[in-house]
Amino acid sequence: MTGTTARVGPAELSALQAALSAEHAAVYGYGVVGAHLTGAALAAATGDWIAHQVARDGLEATLRSAGAQPVAAAVAYQLPHPVHGPAQAKSLAVILEDRVSAAYLRLVALPGAAIRTFGARQVTAAAIRAAAWRGTTVAFPGLPAGALAPRVASRERPEPG
Amino acid sequence: MPADQTRRAVLAATAASLPLLALSGCKGVGALATPPRPAPDVAVLKAAIAAEEVMIARYDAVITRSARLAGSLHPLRAEHQSHLVQLRSRLIVPPGSAAVSPSPSPSSSRSGRAAGGPGPVPAGAAAAISYLQAAERHAASTLLHQLIAVSPSLAQLMASVAASEATHVAALSAAGGTGTAGGTGTAGGTGTAGGTGLP
Repeated sequence: MTGTTARVGPAELSALQAALSAEHAAVYGYGVVGAHLTGAALAAATGDWIAHQVARDGLEATLRSAGAQPVAAAVAYQLPHPVHGPAQAKSLAVILEDRVSAAYLRLVALPGAAIRTFGARQVTAAAIRAAAWRGTTVAFPGLPAGALAPRVASRERPEPG
Repeated sequence: MPADQTRRAVLAATAASLPLLALSGCKGVGALATPPRPAPDVAVLKAAIAAEEVMIARYDAVITRSARLAGSLHPLRAEHQSHLVQLRSRLIVPPGSAAVSPSPSPSSSRSGRAAGGPGPVPAGAAAAISYLQAAERHAASTLLHQLIAVSPSLAQLMASVAASEATHVAALSAAGGTGTAGGTGTAGGTGTAGGTGLP
């Protein structure tokens, strides 16, 4: 996506920063996840950890090329639940990926085709990782349940004229 | 018919002098009475709805042929049913628009034909799994291309549905591998796609 964001508006910057924040949290979180896993699960966690580092670096480069200062990672993050073993570690990985999915889904609501496509592909990537940790698939990765209310459609009526 | 040609000539001359009429001139006089064109969302939604219907038909076709696969395919089919419900709930068209009529229009003829049936299911569990995986990949890829042109909220729903379908590829690999010592014929070729996402 780098190179396609010569003119980046405030909405794009805000959404990109939110995605970067989610990637920062994922990079931190996978460090915790990996610490409680062994064998193939540890290898999978390491692979996902690297994937989030790559995504983080890409977002930072995109933001810098747009003239923005990338949001910094926090020193530490409040975990959504205690992690003392493999099951809790996998549960944390699912939560991290779900939050990353939701953050990238914000990009899909922006007007630009390139940023929408980028966001959608990242939602897919996070959903695939989440499904692997969850052991099952879900119908609507990244979407909160409230967003599925049919009422949302009423705002999508074509404007008259 | 000279009279008709004359009338067309007049219409053409009128259209040339009036830019607004020129836009609808190709449709003839009747075009002046047509309601406003539906938003791009409507055409895309109808295509996405038709695609989900075909997908469910594909799952049904495989489920009826393979009792062994049915158990693991039902949850995936249920997610497609959820996709379909959500997509249908977004389909709002202006009253009186031709887009609401079920008769095939030029824009929906392709999907209409595709909705006629899932096509032949290949024999064997491994081939059936590959058949569904190819359908999932194609559906997800199509949504990713279509979501560029629609409203923000619908684009998000389509991206989420595409992501769900992409996760089905790996889930299908697992479903195909359950209970079979072999199953490596096509599973080896399709299994890698689950981790790499869309082409």
